Amino acid sequence: MRSFFLLLSFAILSVSCLFLSCNKDKKTGDNNNNTNGFDKTAMLTQYADQLIIPGYQKMQEQVSALQTASEAFISTPSATTQNELKTAFTAAYLQYQRVAAFQFGPAETALLDAYVNYSGGLDYNFNTDGELTGFSVDTATIEANISSGSYTLTEPTRKTFYAQGFPALGYLYFGDNAVTRLDSKRAAYIRSLTDRLKALTDKVSGDWNAYRSTFISNTQTNVGSPIGNLVNQLAYQMDILKGPRIGWPFGKQSNGVVFATKCEGYYAGISVALAVENLSSLRKLYTAGNSGKGLSDYLVALNQGTLNSDVLSQFDAAIGKLSAIPDPLSQSLTTQTAAVDAAYKEIQKLLTLLKTDVASATAVQITFMDNDGD
Amino acid sequence: MFSSGSISRPALFKPVPIAPLVSFRIAFGLLMFLSILRFWYRGWVSAVYILPRFHFTYFGFSWIRPLPGIGMHLVFCCMAIAALCLTLGWMYRSAAVLFFLTFTYVELIDVTTYLNHYYFISLVAFWMIWLPANRSYSLDVWFRPGLKKTMVPAWTIGIIRFQMGVVYFFAGIAKLNPDWMLHAIPMKIWLPAKTHLPLVGRFMYETWVAYLFSWFGAIYDLFIVFFLWNKRTTPYAYCFVVLFHAATALFFPGIGMFPYIMIVCSTIFFPATAHERFLSKLPFYKKEEQPTIFRYQKEKLIHKILLIYVLLQLLIPMRYLLYPGHLFWHEEGYRFSWRVMLMEKSGATFFYVQDRNGHRQEVNNAAFLTPLQEKMMSTQPDLILQYAHFLAETYRQRGVEHPEVYAQIYVALNGARSRLFIDSAVNLAAQPVSLQHYKWVLPY
Repeated sequence: MRSFFLLLSFAILSVSCLFLSCNKDKKTGDNNNNTNGFDKTAMLTQYADQLIIPGYQKMQEQVSALQTASEAFISTPSATTQNELKTAFTAAYLQYQRVAAFQFGPAETALLDAYVNYSGGLDYNFNTDGELTGFSVDTATIEANISSGSYTLTEPTRKTFYAQGFPALGYLYFGDNAVTRLDSKRAAYIRSLTDRLKALTDKVSGDWNAYRSTFISNTQTNVGSPIGNLVNQLAYQMDILKGPRIGWPFGKQSNGVVFATKCEGYYAGISVALAVENLSSLRKLYTAGNSGKGLSDYLVALNQGTLNSDVLSQFDAAIGKLSAIPDPLSQSLTTQTAAVDAAYKEIQKLLTLLKTDVASATAVQITFMDNDGD
Repeated sequence: MFSSGSISRPALFKPVPIAPLVSFRIAFGLLMFLSILRFWYRGWVSAVYILPRFHFTYFGFSWIRPLPGIGMHLVFCCMAIAALCLTLGWMYRSAAVLFFLTFTYVELIDVTTYLNHYYFISLVAFWMIWLPANRSYSLDVWFRPGLKKTMVPAWTIGIIRFQMGVVYFFAGIAKLNPDWMLHAIPMKIWLPAKTHLPLVGRFMYETWVAYLFSWFGAIYDLFIVFFLWNKRTTPYAYCFVVLFHAATALFFPGIGMFPYIMIVCSTIFFPATAHERFLSKLPFYKKEEQPTIFRYQKEKLIHKILLIYVLLQLLIPMRYLLYPGHLFWHEEGYRFSWRVMLMEKSGATFFYVQDRNGHRQEVNNAAFLTPLQEKMMSTQPDLILQYAHFLAETYRQRGVEHPEVYAQIYVALNGARSRLFIDSAVNLAAQPVSLQHYKWVLPY
């Protein structure tokens, strides 16, 4: 009996000793680190107000401009109107890359990414001939929809995903003989695609006004939390970049067999520009636009300054190598293999840093299941 | 608690009041029932046992497979009914057997779902089969009053207490490592993610809080069972149990049912009088005046089995000592050792399949594994090897002759930077699955 009380007093004593010694440590050693001050709500507010909400508003404008250019192309199909259309199309598509990583909340509810720029998902075997995978465009379904004139674009299936959004518009605008093939039926389908693009963008942009307060007030890091979503999206977008965007069309999963038509934005021939914009936007997400309030700053506040600078330089290395690939990617996959390979390697390094070191340091969970904590 | 006197045969078979066993049966069954409903409600039956294309199996149990169709749902249904029957004490023995078998079967299907408290439940469920927990205040007694007993051998309660003690004590031993005690890692990593908590949230960036959590956790785990076991300190110790696990549930909700299981099962340490008081508040409870004693035949055999079991329970968590290398890095002897919330580890894996002509293609893990499976596989060597063998077989069927499997794996452990985990030049397809040290894992 006495020994139990001895144990108890020992326990209490050692804890209090520790308290004291650590307090001392803190005063002498760690004073320079400003960890106490990191404000997660300020971080999330920065993301919502400076990156996400303005990003969707900009996209609304760009999609409206695309609609205008699209109408001009439809009313007088020519190389000139097609050229002007290309500018508007590229601008809107690039703007989408700037919000692509915000696939949570309103965008997730609306399935924005699937309807606007379907990547085919990661859990799908890319390496299948004839099957619609990655950034394929389902030209057969599109042509069938055009000639029948009756179709639905709102059904959440792979078939409808692959028949709309930027990739499908790219086919209708810039595919073979796009100018000469344009008739009233094609025009009608183009219109329904741009209308849908507009409606989806408006919806997500509008819903963010209400969602903003939910977003900035939740500073947890579990699955489905804003911070969890941001970190998981960084990793997910890197997976998409390494897989469907670059690696898989390059033949990394298929013994070098290239799938040129499965490049993102194949018909517009702007795959590299899109990928570079996507990756640059991820860097911007990571730093919250160098505002001093981003995930990068959170890492610095957690005494992970070295990791942070490594991540930043790896971002730069990957963006550099990626930019060195000439567009169209569909040709570079066979003519510029060294450049593509170099970019692929840097992407993999960045992916590793984000998925292991950054995810670990921020204690973000990736699955809903119970865990023993490792 | 481990003194030789208390494990002698007379001590183990000394009759004691049955009440602790009865309330344990009721509480355990109810808790299991709720856990099963929760698992079901969250859609995990499908997500974990039906949807995955591939399952990681335990060494020697690769023949365990999930049932097709609605089979798994039926298994969970049986398990839930069995848990309820335990609580009611209705067809108790069959219910205990059914619960043990269904629960253990489900846990054996996929290693990536391993949790220490699932292992604990399997062990307790096994003992429940042999315990006379239905001999009072049960439907079995209601229907056959002749079954009723007021006294049971001391070991029937002692074995559950022992099991609780093992969980706590080894969880405490496991925390006695430099990272946990001297660097407060992983608490230092995990706590800054908890600033959203009311009142305490703003302290979560403080280093001393991480040390406080680490040391308090270690001391609690190491000593709580002794205070629980001592009659005079039991009520105070139990207050600690409730506070401690309420805190863990609040801080680390990802840990699931573990805190609740510990809070409920720790009641077994209360003396019989406390349990009788609790039971007397329940409807239809009648205290029997006439003492009747439940006795086992073959006491000698039971005594031997108990001693062997106790020995095994003390040795299994220490088996990691037989392996060279860093335990957290290699994870050889890591499971079944009560290592809960002990480290922060994550990995990124890139697998390559190479044919006999040296042509190499990369594997898309997401095409074969769920995110949970991929996450768990990427840091555990034995799972990496299983997956590599699965890939070799899959690509062989796809027409790759003599496929060789290589992997580039980066792992970050306890806040250190990620580094190469295994030898990328080793053909994993040719490495045997065994319990021996895996030499292809790079040293920490």
